[in-house]
Order: sequence, then structure tokens, then C-alpha cells
Amino acid sequence: MELRLENLSKYYSSKCAVDQVNLTLVPGLYGLLGANGAGKTTLMRMICGILKPTLGRIIFNGQPIAGLGEQYYSHLGYLPQDFGYYPDFTAREFMLYMAAVKGLDQQNAKARTDTLLRLVNLSNVADKKIKTYSGGMLQRLGIAQAMLNDPSILILDEPTAGLDPKERVRFRNLISDLAKDKMVILSTHIVSDVSYIADTILLMKQGRILLHGPMSTVTDSIKGKVWEALVYATEADLYSRCFAVVNLRHENNMVRLRIVHDTAPFSGAYNVEPSLEDLFLYHFGETVALEGSPEHADIV
Amino acid sequence: MLTLCKYEFLKIVRKKSTLIVMGISLLITTLLFGLPISQHQVYYQEGMIPGLAGIAYEKEQTTKYTVLLSEDYIANTINEFQKLFDDPENVGYDGNEEFIIGDAYWQYVAPQEKLLMMIAANYNQPGEYTGINKLRDVDLTAGANFYQTRESKIYALLTTPSRRLSDEQKSFWLKMNSKVATPFGYGYCEGWKTLLTSTELLVLAIFAICIVVTPVFAGEYQAGTDALLLSAKYGKTKLISAKVAAVFIFGLLTFTLHVLVACGLPLWSFGLDGWDLPVQIVNTSIPYPFTFLQAVMVNVAIIYCVLLALLSLTMCLSASMKNSYLVLGVLTAVVFLPVFLSPTDTAGIYNTILFLLPYRSTMLELNKYISYQFGSVVIDVHMLRIILYVVFTVLLLPLTRSSFRRHQAAE
Repeated sequence: MELRLENLSKYYSSKCAVDQVNLTLVPGLYGLLGANGAGKTTLMRMICGILKPTLGRIIFNGQPIAGLGEQYYSHLGYLPQDFGYYPDFTAREFMLYMAAVKGLDQQNAKARTDTLLRLVNLSNVADKKIKTYSGGMLQRLGIAQAMLNDPSILILDEPTAGLDPKERVRFRNLISDLAKDKMVILSTHIVSDVSYIADTILLMKQGRILLHGPMSTVTDSIKGKVWEALVYATEADLYSRCFAVVNLRHENNMVRLRIVHDTAPFSGAYNVEPSLEDLFLYHFGETVALEGSPEHADIV
Repeated sequence: MLTLCKYEFLKIVRKKSTLIVMGISLLITTLLFGLPISQHQVYYQEGMIPGLAGIAYEKEQTTKYTVLLSEDYIANTINEFQKLFDDPENVGYDGNEEFIIGDAYWQYVAPQEKLLMMIAANYNQPGEYTGINKLRDVDLTAGANFYQTRESKIYALLTTPSRRLSDEQKSFWLKMNSKVATPFGYGYCEGWKTLLTSTELLVLAIFAICIVVTPVFAGEYQAGTDALLLSAKYGKTKLISAKVAAVFIFGLLTFTLHVLVACGLPLWSFGLDGWDLPVQIVNTSIPYPFTFLQAVMVNVAIIYCVLLALLSLTMCLSASMKNSYLVLGVLTAVVFLPVFLSPTDTAGIYNTILFLLPYRSTMLELNKYISYQFGSVVIDVHMLRIILYVVFTVLLLPLTRSSFRRHQAAE
């Protein structure tokens, strides 16, 4: 199975949302990282065949998806960023409805619905109307519907939005299990969502794929640019204003800073191994949200 | 497909707004079609009887005049009416014209006033509007010549220059008129008459149904479910068919409920009597060979076609406009603007179009001789309405399908 993006571009009037993306995707879990507005959603919607590229094309197993129709869509599972639903349906009805749209026969639809609702921990509220669900429950329902047809291409746009840390960990493990033999593209601006499970990282900025590589080597590009130092609390404020601080942790009366910078930010700072969060901050120049990452529990 | 259709139907009926709009619409229909019953008043020598009691009294009186309107019967009826004027005791004068008063009125005229009015109107010239006194002028020396007069009048109507009817159109109407069986049967038919004069009120029910189905596609865009649906296997194929089927099923079921209320109320109150009588007993210049039942059925069939076409239009707009309120705005204009337009007395493009617009199409135009000519083919307004609205219904569906398929689920 292979999905090839050739010179894929999308313009909204004169604004370029996706700019000449060339990628070849094979089974595995892809973490699509990028700040809000980087073009992640636009790219995913084009891959889903619900947004027409301005230029370029998408090739699935050697054939342009534009001509494949139902054949292509039957491979797809998609969770959009703003997951729309029918408030007057119960979760079970919604799943059965989506199963019908995805072409599952009734018997299979019922079995898959039961399995997936159990998997996302919604079995006990399966017959309650969706309008009574919390944000986290809605997101779990969205994930369940994306998996209904056992898709070989699973596209998840900000799937952890609205999930609490426990649910997020549960979700990560779930995706990791499901990714076997599938192509999973998971977009997020939360680095920890993909740092543990992604095989490949795609870093997207201003519509372009900035970096594309295996998880193990993608941080090599900023080797020698991540620094740590133990400073006084009064100095910490000053350094935070001057440099891109990834992490700030109080240790007795001192503060341990983690800084991303091309050269040593000040004397006493020493080089450390870069992480995905460092990479993200280096390119986006802003504080990275690192929820769920135990080593960065005190992030600011 | 059936499962999809079931869930699409559920999506429509589960909404609270659906129940509210349909509830209000049914209530309005009940009130509007109940008004002719509650406001019905029958006058008799001692006073007035309102509502159902009045209807019962009138029915009892009129049933005595269930007759075949032969030339002899009509001549005798006119003769008796004319004789009433011989006795000055029976005649009143309002400064303008003489009229029958007192016992003569209550015993002879009142029970058969509608029959006398119908006979009198037959002798009017085209465009002439006189009352019952027209009967005084009828020359009975060679008999009533009721049906001959009717034929002459129809011919005069067809040759009126302002109608601008072609020879083919005149032949069309004369041929249709030749199928009208004579002599006419006469009897009580108040329920059917009431129905035929109020069917345009059903346009409100059609509009209410369109309001309910407006979000069928636009609602998906607004809720953000379009991305889910369009990326699914049947999102651009069977789902659209299921949506269309669900809308038509919902529309037909709820509209039938309205039709049952609209027809049921007058027919239950006034009775089914007169269903097999010719519509000519309302107006003798009607060229259609319909009984009341047939006329109502034709009327209802056209209204159903209007419903289907407006549902199709709603879906088409919903799929292409992306906003339910915009769709509603267009529908309001299409349905209600023609309410404020009236036909002119002359033929022309204005009338030609007006009589085909949705609101006008809910009314039968039995005595207006409106026909359309395409080459040598002549079609009357009712048949053209059916063809037009069926064609609209069918033509708009591929546009709906195409709009939804081509929809771009942008952020």
C-alpha cells in the first residue's frame, strides 16, 4: 500500500495553505506536527478526498484518487478536527448510521459498533443521546467512528483535543495497537501525542513539509542546539525573555532551564540530547504544549 | 440503502424543531379548514342557525332539490320564479331593483337560492354579473334553452379577443366541452365546493414541510458532519439517494396528514354528498367534464406535484447554498411573492407565467380557459402544471447530487 502526494498545493484566493507537498506514505504511524494554521487540516482533507487540491495530485497504489471513488473511500477512516455529530442520535445510532454510510452490512455494523464503543469506553452510555456527552466522550466517539470500517488509511486530525491526560494515554496506546499494517496520519500540535508512538515525523510550517524523517533521526538536525543550565530564580526570568525556553524546573532555590538556541546562550549552559519538543520549539519559536509528558511536568 | 434511508428519516423527525413546525402547521391547517364550518351561517324565516346545526338544516332543505336539470325542469323553475313577481305582495323594492320578499322568498326562493343563482348566471353574457333577477328576463316561449345558451356563451367566451386563443386552442376547449354530459345532475355538494375554494391554503403546509427539510444538506455543512460523510464510502453516492428518498417520504407522509385534515374537516361536516355531481353546477361555463370528486383529485394531484418540486428545489438549494437561512429566504420568495400577484384580464406572458407559479398552481382554474400551445399541441393549465412540476422535480435531483458531491469540506 502506498499513498503518494505529488506537488500538492492548495490556495484560498491568494493565500497558500499547502505549498507543493511531495510525500510517499507507506503503512506506519505518521505524526504530522505543526502549529495552528500550518496547513495540517487542509493537507489531511485533501488526502481524504473532500477538498480539491489547487495543484498536484494524490496517487493511491498507482492510481489518482480522483478517479477511484468508492474504492478509495472504503480504505479511509477520518476523524476531522471539529468532529460534527447529530445531537439527537444516541452513540449507537450514530455508529450504525456511519457504518451504513461506510458500506458495512447490518450484522457487521452491529458487531463493530459494540466492539469499538467498548474499546473507547462508551459502552455504558451507548444508548444516551450524543448531546449529553462531554467533549472527551465526543472525541472518543469520533475516534470509534473513524475505525468502523477497519480502514487501511486512518487520518486523525487533532484527535486528542478535549481528552484528559488519562484518556490521552489510553488513546495513544489504542492508536499504537491499531496502526499495525495500517497507514495512520495523526496531526497534532501537542508533541507528546506522537513522540511515543510515531514511526515517522512530518513537521509542517506555512504549508510546507519542513522536516520528514524517522522518529529516531528527526531530531538530529538540531543536535548541539539544545542547552540546559542551572540558574538563580532572578536570572531565570531574564533568560526566559531572551531565549526560547522549552522547560523551566525549580530545584531548591535554583531553576533548571532548557533552552533551544544555535549557540550557547550563556556561560555555564551545557549541551543535551535534543527531543521532539525541542525540535518543535526550534522551528515554531513558541512554547510547546507537552501535556502528559512526565519528564516535563513543570513546563511553562 | 434502506438503513441509510431509515437514519436519514430519523435525522429529520428526531429534531425538536421538526415536531414544533409540523405541530404548528397542522394546527393552522385545522383552523383554516375548520373556519368555513364554524363560520357557516344559514338564514331561515325565524333567524339564523350557525355551525353544524346550520349545515344540517341547509342540507335537509337542499336535498329536496336533488334533481336532473332537464330543459323542462329548468323552464318550470324559471316560470315559477317569474310568476312570483305577478303578486305585488311578494315583491319588494330597494330603490334600485325589485326582489322577492316575505313568505314567497322563504318558501320558494331561499331553499333553492343557489340553484336559482346558478341557472340565472347561465343566462348572463360573458363579463356580465347579475343576480337572481336575471331569471325575470329569460324568454320561455321556446323553452328554457338552458344548454343551448350555455354552448353559445362558451363559444362567446372562447372568441373574446382579449383571450387571444388560437384556432387550435378554441378547438381544444370545444372538444373538451363536448365531453360534458347533459343534462346536469343537481344536489347538495357544499363539502366539495368548500374544499375546491380553499385548497390553496395547503401552500402553508408545503412551506412548513420545506422549512423542516431545509437543513438536509446545508445542515451537514453547518454541523461539520460533511467531512465525515463525504470521506465515507457511500458519502457521495448512496447517501445522497437516501437523503432524497427520506425527504420525499417525510414530505409525502406529513403532507398527506395535512391533506387528510384539510379534506376531512369539510367533508365530515358537510358530508360526502355531491361527489358524483358535475362541477358545472357551480359555474355552467366550466368546460371540464369533471365531477366534484374528480376535480378535487386533480387539484390534490397538482398540489402533490408542487410539493415534490418544492422539496426538490429545497434540496437543491440546501446542497448548494451551505446555509439553511439563505435557503429559507429563497423559498419564502418563491412561495409567497406570487400570493400578492393577481392575474390580469388580458392574456400575455404575465398571466402565462403567473398561472404556473407554485401558489397559483394550488388553485384549480376551471372556468378561465387557460391553455398553452406548443406547435400544434395544446395543453390546458392543469396538465401543464403536472408536467412542469414533475419535470422540475426530476431535473433538480441531479443538480442536488452534483452540488453535494462537489462540495468542498473546507475548514
